[in-house]
Amino acid sequence: MRAESVARALLVLATSTPALVLGVRACERQRSPPVVEVRGRMVNEGGWEPGEIVIGVDQPLRLALVSDDVVHGFGIGKTAVEAVDMYPGVPRNLTLTFDRPGIYTYYCTRWCGVNHWRMRGTIVVRGPGENATADEAEPPHVALDLDLDAPHPAAAVPSATPDAGRGRHLGAALSPDYRDAGMLRTTPPAVVWGRLRADPDHRHRTDQDLWNLVAAQWIAGTTDRVRWEGEQLYAANCAACHGEGGDGRGVMARALAASLPPSADHERARPAAFTDAQVMLGASSALLAGKILRGGMGTGMPNWGAILTDEQVWALVDYLWTFQFGRVGRASAGPLEGHRVSGE
Amino acid sequence: MQRSWRVGLLALGAVAVLIVPVPGGAPAGGERSFRIEATSTGFTPAVIRARAGDRVTIELVAMDVVHGLFVDGYELSTTAEPGRPGRLAFVADRTGAFRLRCSVTCGSLHPFVVGVLKVGPQTLLWRAAMLAVIAALGGLWLARR
Amino acid sequence: MSEPDVLRVPWVHRLVRSRWPQLLVTLVLLAGFLVAIVAGFAGSPVGNRNFAIVGVWIAWWAVLMLVAVPLLGRGWCGVCPLGAPADWIQRGAILTPGPRALGLGRRWPAQLRNLWLQNAGFLTLAIASAAILTRPRLTALVLLALLAAALIVSFVFERRAFCRHLCPVGGFIGLYAQLAPIELRVRDKRRCAAHRDKTCYTGCAAGSGCPWGVYPGALDRNAACGMCFECVRTCPYDNVAIRWRGLRNDLVTAPGHRLDEAFKAFIMLGSALVYTAVFLGPWGDLKAAALGVGSRAWVAYAGVVIAFLVGVLPGAFFLAGELGRRFSHSPLTPRRTFASHAAALVPLGLAAWVAFTLSLLLVNGSYALVVASDPFGWGWNLLGTRNAGWTPALTGALPILQAVVLIIGLGATALAAMRIARGTAGATAGRQAAPVVLFAFVVTVAMLRLLVG
Repeated sequence: MRAESVARALLVLATSTPALVLGVRACERQRSPPVVEVRGRMVNEGGWEPGEIVIGVDQPLRLALVSDDVVHGFGIGKTAVEAVDMYPGVPRNLTLTFDRPGIYTYYCTRWCGVNHWRMRGTIVVRGPGENATADEAEPPHVALDLDLDAPHPAAAVPSATPDAGRGRHLGAALSPDYRDAGMLRTTPPAVVWGRLRADPDHRHRTDQDLWNLVAAQWIAGTTDRVRWEGEQLYAANCAACHGEGGDGRGVMARALAASLPPSADHERARPAAFTDAQVMLGASSALLAGKILRGGMGTGMPNWGAILTDEQVWALVDYLWTFQFGRVGRASAGPLEGHRVSGE
Repeated sequence: MQRSWRVGLLALGAVAVLIVPVPGGAPAGGERSFRIEATSTGFTPAVIRARAGDRVTIELVAMDVVHGLFVDGYELSTTAEPGRPGRLAFVADRTGAFRLRCSVTCGSLHPFVVGVLKVGPQTLLWRAAMLAVIAALGGLWLARR
Repeated sequence: MSEPDVLRVPWVHRLVRSRWPQLLVTLVLLAGFLVAIVAGFAGSPVGNRNFAIVGVWIAWWAVLMLVAVPLLGRGWCGVCPLGAPADWIQRGAILTPGPRALGLGRRWPAQLRNLWLQNAGFLTLAIASAAILTRPRLTALVLLALLAAALIVSFVFERRAFCRHLCPVGGFIGLYAQLAPIELRVRDKRRCAAHRDKTCYTGCAAGSGCPWGVYPGALDRNAACGMCFECVRTCPYDNVAIRWRGLRNDLVTAPGHRLDEAFKAFIMLGSALVYTAVFLGPWGDLKAAALGVGSRAWVAYAGVVIAFLVGVLPGAFFLAGELGRRFSHSPLTPRRTFASHAAALVPLGLAAWVAFTLSLLLVNGSYALVVASDPFGWGWNLLGTRNAGWTPALTGALPILQAVVLIIGLGATALAAMRIARGTAGATAGRQAAPVVLFAFVVTVAMLRLLVG
């Protein structure tokens, strides 16, 4: 009889393991300071859960990040917080403290499908002064009232890839008007080329030489370090759709077309080809920056305004110019796409 | 024939199958490069072929999420995500059929995302098939009275 | 008799006769079973970080297919947490029979005293296997359903009706147990003949009558004996032996000739081929179709698989058997030839499953280390191995191991086919067996192509 009671007690013990496990889990969640569990899923399966977190300023926000399907990443836009990779089923802890109230955007930093860029959430940091409007400078495309969606074909394109190196040698004789940083940011290269072409001082130069000069100005306006940062941002965020070579034929381009509603303008919705001289040389850096910040309404181009800092956006733009102008010392790649010489 | 003699003869046949070299030609030493697209259901192309001794380069292009590639036998791996392909370069000095597997969890079917790299003559398959013939005939023969 | 009786070894005898070792193992497995269900419902949906998937489909399946079945026959059934509750309910106690038995004790319906329900159950799981094997929640659902079915059936019907006639796993364990090197038989049949009460079948104070509905005195095959050892405990003459018989197997001494068993053999052999093609093959569209349960592609896939398992494969074998029958002028009917010779496929079937399982174990076995520390994907680190990466083992040797296993299986099948044919066709046995062995050869080459090619 005693043996039977022991056996029954053991049976009860064995069948209570689920309760034990769940009990331990509940205690775990109670004991430690409150943790917000942030689950990441592909957007079609729900995206971030929760989609919004509220915390007070200077209060530590303890997050337990875990992915439920594929590799995701957790990053907070416009901050120096390093992105945390989220491997499926592997929870990671992250503690954040915000010293300034406002709305912060967290976003996925590893590609997780065609809707990857839509995987965003907000952290609302409450505190004194939270309702004060931010004292941010207007982005140039707003200040200039540029129409980001209007087509901007270049009036002229070079017959071969411009050589910024050669342009640098020639550039000694360039007047300061052509070197003004503000002007270079807000004027398309084709327009600057047009001015050079019309300038009597440069009448003797060939068309290609003038393009080399233009290239040199665009490349000289920034450092290799900045271009390198732009390259990293491009590889992580843009190459999937726009292609590693900037030709607009990234691996996501196909899936992107399939994900748009049938009424969308598929022609316009194709990722831009940065190797297309017609398209690029007629755009100013300010225009490109504007498109990056605002995104393309309904085309699948994400809006990066809440994610990238101004430095990052300009670094990206500086990198995009290397598809047209290469880098100093890089050999000429040959004829460009959309090669056509128009205008004088 | 006595049973032990039969077994001995079959064993001899098996050994012969195992040691006789399978013709496959001398290693070529050429270059072969492959671009493999990875999705959550599989690799495209799923079967790639090279000759023994070739310098093989595999570019892993992830089409939707973060993927990885692991080569059985050679035990090499790389990872890729859309926009950032991975690359493997090695000399195919081992012959046979080597499974390619995804090495980064990429969805439900992840453990079964499989491809094949075939290098040179498929000696193992041929030998196994011939041993299977010996096993089949041998079983019939050994169980006779 | 030269075959040693393991039960004559004193410590083995004590271990088997005592109810405690078996009970403790069963309770641990029961706890594991329940934890797997919890993991499936409350744990991470990522399969390789969840005990429900790794613990069941990698760890348990590998132990079952590579050790338990080939070496211990129905050894798993003796400690299975799904079967034991039947004994407890019907005895009214966990150890020796209590004063009052619970349950209704109805007899299992005669028309269902066969493997057809198990065949249907296995087929149902097989066509949904891609989803079940990769989704913890689905695995938990299946486990829960099996547990519920086992408990309900155990309460309504007598003995281990669930195990014997419903359990999809038990169906094939019984089939392959016929190859195991151990067997439970009586020592001296005359003793049994003289024993009036036959307590091994009817039960007594020391234990229940055989829960599997087998009369141990007449037991001649491993297929239905569930290794529960009740008869060892109830026989007053200690007349039960567990013999080590080595390579001698039931296919020769007591070949089955029932249609339901034959179809079980085809379903198992065929599904080894199907699983290998779907899970280990390079065809992504096939995997997607198999995974999307409910979709149109899946319906087509399920239809093709079922047609192959119960139509094409047995049909082709029937033709092979028929060819041999005519060629050898065998006096048997086609149906009897078919059913008898299907038994020859058992070694090849087991070999095919072992080959498939080797892949699961060697390639994904490292997940077991991770899941041992973090069974639910909650971030636990019980053994410190939470961050062990995915480490496929012996990938170079794997195809060689698989080829060796398949070749051995084919050889054993050829031997069995010939021996069965000698029993049915006599002098012209070779002609009867040859087409059957050719069939087995073709299947072997198909498996080799899928695994090694």
